[in-house]
Amino acid sequence: MPTDTDLTLSNRDYVMRTVEERGVRFVRLWFVDVLGMLKSIAIPVTELETVLEDGVGLDGSALEGGARLAERDVIAYPDPRTFQVLPWHPTSIAARMLCDVRLPDGTPFPGDSRHALRRVLTQAAEIGLTMQVGAEIEFFLFEEETDPSKPPVPLDRGTYFDLTPLDDGSDFRRRTIEYLEQMGIPVKASHHEVAPSQHEIKLAHTDALSMADAVTTFKLAVKEVAREQDVFATFMPKPLEHESGSGMHVHLSLFEGERNVFFDPEEGPLSATGRAFLAGVLAHARELTAVTNQWVNSYKRLAGGFEAPEYVSWTRHARSALVRVPSSRPDREAAARIELRSPDSACNPYLCFALVLAAGLRGIERGYQLGGETGDEPLPGARALPEDLREAVTLFESSELVREVLGDRMCDWYVRNKRREWDEYRKTVTEFERSRYLRAL
Amino acid sequence: MLAELGFSPRRVAINGSLRPPGADGGTAPRPDLAMVLDARGDATPVCTRLREDEDLGGVPIVVSVEPADLELGPEMLEAHELIVAPFTAAELAARIARARRAVHGIAEDEVVRSDRLELNLATYQVTVDGEPVDFTYMEYELLKFLLTHPRRAFSREALLSQVWGYDFYGGARTVDVHVRRVRAKLGSEHATKIKTVRRVGYRWEA
Repeated sequence: MPTDTDLTLSNRDYVMRTVEERGVRFVRLWFVDVLGMLKSIAIPVTELETVLEDGVGLDGSALEGGARLAERDVIAYPDPRTFQVLPWHPTSIAARMLCDVRLPDGTPFPGDSRHALRRVLTQAAEIGLTMQVGAEIEFFLFEEETDPSKPPVPLDRGTYFDLTPLDDGSDFRRRTIEYLEQMGIPVKASHHEVAPSQHEIKLAHTDALSMADAVTTFKLAVKEVAREQDVFATFMPKPLEHESGSGMHVHLSLFEGERNVFFDPEEGPLSATGRAFLAGVLAHARELTAVTNQWVNSYKRLAGGFEAPEYVSWTRHARSALVRVPSSRPDREAAARIELRSPDSACNPYLCFALVLAAGLRGIERGYQLGGETGDEPLPGARALPEDLREAVTLFESSELVREVLGDRMCDWYVRNKRREWDEYRKTVTEFERSRYLRAL
Repeated sequence: MLAELGFSPRRVAINGSLRPPGADGGTAPRPDLAMVLDARGDATPVCTRLREDEDLGGVPIVVSVEPADLELGPEMLEAHELIVAPFTAAELAARIARARRAVHGIAEDEVVRSDRLELNLATYQVTVDGEPVDFTYMEYELLKFLLTHPRRAFSREALLSQVWGYDFYGGARTVDVHVRRVRAKLGSEHATKIKTVRRVGYRWEA
């Protein structure tokens, strides 16, 4: 069997040859900050060989999100396995590689989200388990409008599964899917969503790290297509008050070799292992909400009905539970999975998958018991998800699971970012207040 | 002489394991070619062992013989190509090319073709109808493996060990995921050439 070193060397060779053969001019080195926002450094191909070997130095505080304190030196090492020519630069060819970020002494940088996910995946692999993730990502398209004080204008009045001529977005989705497929991100399905100008694209399941990379790439691809078509795309969780918000339903299953350990045709819809995993996800769901729903605006989606989850609950058939256990194909091993419905597409997918997997694994390790299934109404005593970002951050900060999975440094940076966001929000005088109070008081 | 031709040869004894050791103590990647030297009467059993080895089964075999060995008879045909010593580098290169073409369908110019799909082993580039298709390294390696072993079905485990060579946390499902990506990039016409063989794995339909 080839060793890791052999593979890295042939990967690098592959990158160098491809850059030469395809006439690539620039290579973009991608990494995300703790909030999952994509950052990029472009290097000319003349520097590529050196960078593949030695990485490129940068200021690590760039990974701390907006709320950074001091500069710190870190080194970004591009992962040659993620080398990919970007399809949206037809004239001057560019490629990207995702980076692992390390401290100068070679240890992983505590603010590196990719590493945080990889650490959990390695722990799972040590007990023989691998996680497969599928994602259904929703977003809105609006007319390009530079004045942020005006409400965004949808491109169509289409609704669920509508096809043209009401649905101006079908060309848009086709173009996006072409880009995604050229980048090795297979799409299962796409359709017009419930709200005007709202779209959904389903990404076929893959391992968790590839899926987090795919979600990150997906968001950029959508924005690139929007730019080409003179519209703008947003993953804002709740852009229109009276319409559905945009979520990212996450489908999860666990494999031991080729066997889906969630599958049990006798016990259905989930095996004992699957039930313990689900119990773990539910038990820790409130602590993880600051990551699955990380913006002030995320909570407007969760509060607003439209089938968004508000309680910690699971179901096979009801509409707005936190976790749905699909059971339309009880005999198919590959179909045994759980669907987490709280995350929105503006989350950091690396941290989201890392924490959800860790919560599920804890459920398995400690033999958590799964509670009753919910119907259309929440069960008596069902715990509500955090109502706002402030409550979510407080739960997150004191979670022992979160600290164990992400480490103290990452947690503290995350909390600092989110507290600052909340403080700024607190000071904002909103339209709600003006319309109610300005004349009445 | 093999090094002159651009190979990095690794030597193994014919009575030990035929799988070459890697640079850092592990096992090396699957070799492009097996060359049997100075084996005399043992050449045939060595060829048989190579062909039956799970990891080395599809590797082209070139056997170097002395003129006298030719009298050993027709069982020498176990090799994909024979070369009689002494020989020149140019002859060796030609014999190797013949063996590789016989086994993998690789043409003289290091290009494997299947209809309008071309995969260039020297430059790692893949084109469909002359248009470049951009693969990641592992996608390229998977396509290369299937394309150069046409009409044979491989299990997911076999592909994992032959193409990836190590078990990383993607697990056996990684193979399915990569097949799906390769199909997506190849486009509908060539995508169907990677056949899913139920309860086995995958096969390239030439």
